[in-house]
Amino acid sequence: MSLLSTFAPSLSRQAARPDRPADLGNTVKPRYEIKDTSDAFGITVYLPGVNKDGVDLTTEEGQVRILGRRAWRQPEGWTSLYRESADAAFELVLNHDNAIDVDKVAAELRDGVLRVSLPKHEAIKPRKIAVS
Amino acid sequence: MRLVRYTYPFRTLSNAQNEGTRSPWSGLESEIDRLFDTAMTDVGGSSPATRHFPIDLYEDKDSTYVRAELPGVSREDINVEMVDGYLTISASRKTTAVEGGDGERGFSFSRSVAINEAVQSDKVSAAYENGVLTVTLPKQEEVKAKKISVTVK
Repeated sequence: MSLLSTFAPSLSRQAARPDRPADLGNTVKPRYEIKDTSDAFGITVYLPGVNKDGVDLTTEEGQVRILGRRAWRQPEGWTSLYRESADAAFELVLNHDNAIDVDKVAAELRDGVLRVSLPKHEAIKPRKIAVS
Repeated sequence: MRLVRYTYPFRTLSNAQNEGTRSPWSGLESEIDRLFDTAMTDVGGSSPATRHFPIDLYEDKDSTYVRAELPGVSREDINVEMVDGYLTISASRKTTAVEGGDGERGFSFSRSVAINEAVQSDKVSAAYENGVLTVTLPKQEEVKAKKISVTVK
């Protein structure tokens, strides 16, 4: 369907977000993995070419938004002969059902891999109820 | 080795598409995407995302540059070779013990690029930063200043 939307963008009827940075332009969805353990969700996002300053991680109502801008720009005097990667920034938006403790979200970026840990809220962790 | 062009696993180059997760069609869209992904995987034999990595080629006056996106690979696992005008970049790692699910998964990637210019093989250098490997291949002197004067009889 993303193929179809590329040809006919009007098919996606979503208005642009007002808080979206104006200079962002087109974005690429990065490769990512989600792991679900009993007390946290772990997201691994592959952001090659992005350094610490280029990552923007925002959590809002029901949404985790990861933005990665590439730190590297083609230097003056370099001619590109063949390109497979894009200069576009990475953008990943994940929806969740508010079962995440937003205050305890932790993230680490190393060698172009961002690991985000989203601890689950105490209220939804499995609890054992003793039968009396 | 055959060169197959890399495509980003989830390429969405439209702003609206990224916002589209809340659209009434989102369920159907993701289902169709998944279907396509599976179908493509079957054609390739293995998922392109795990086997390939994107490569860019640049050049300037003195050198040719190859940039490869290899996020999350440690420097010791990357192997760069220059044989017979072919630059081969490979990376491999064995799966480490997965105790409690936090081990590191193994992988093996390899790609070769034909370098047409004459290269000073002993001066090839590589740097790895932010998950991107940059290989610098200095051109040979005689190639740099290639001026042949032809006398017309």
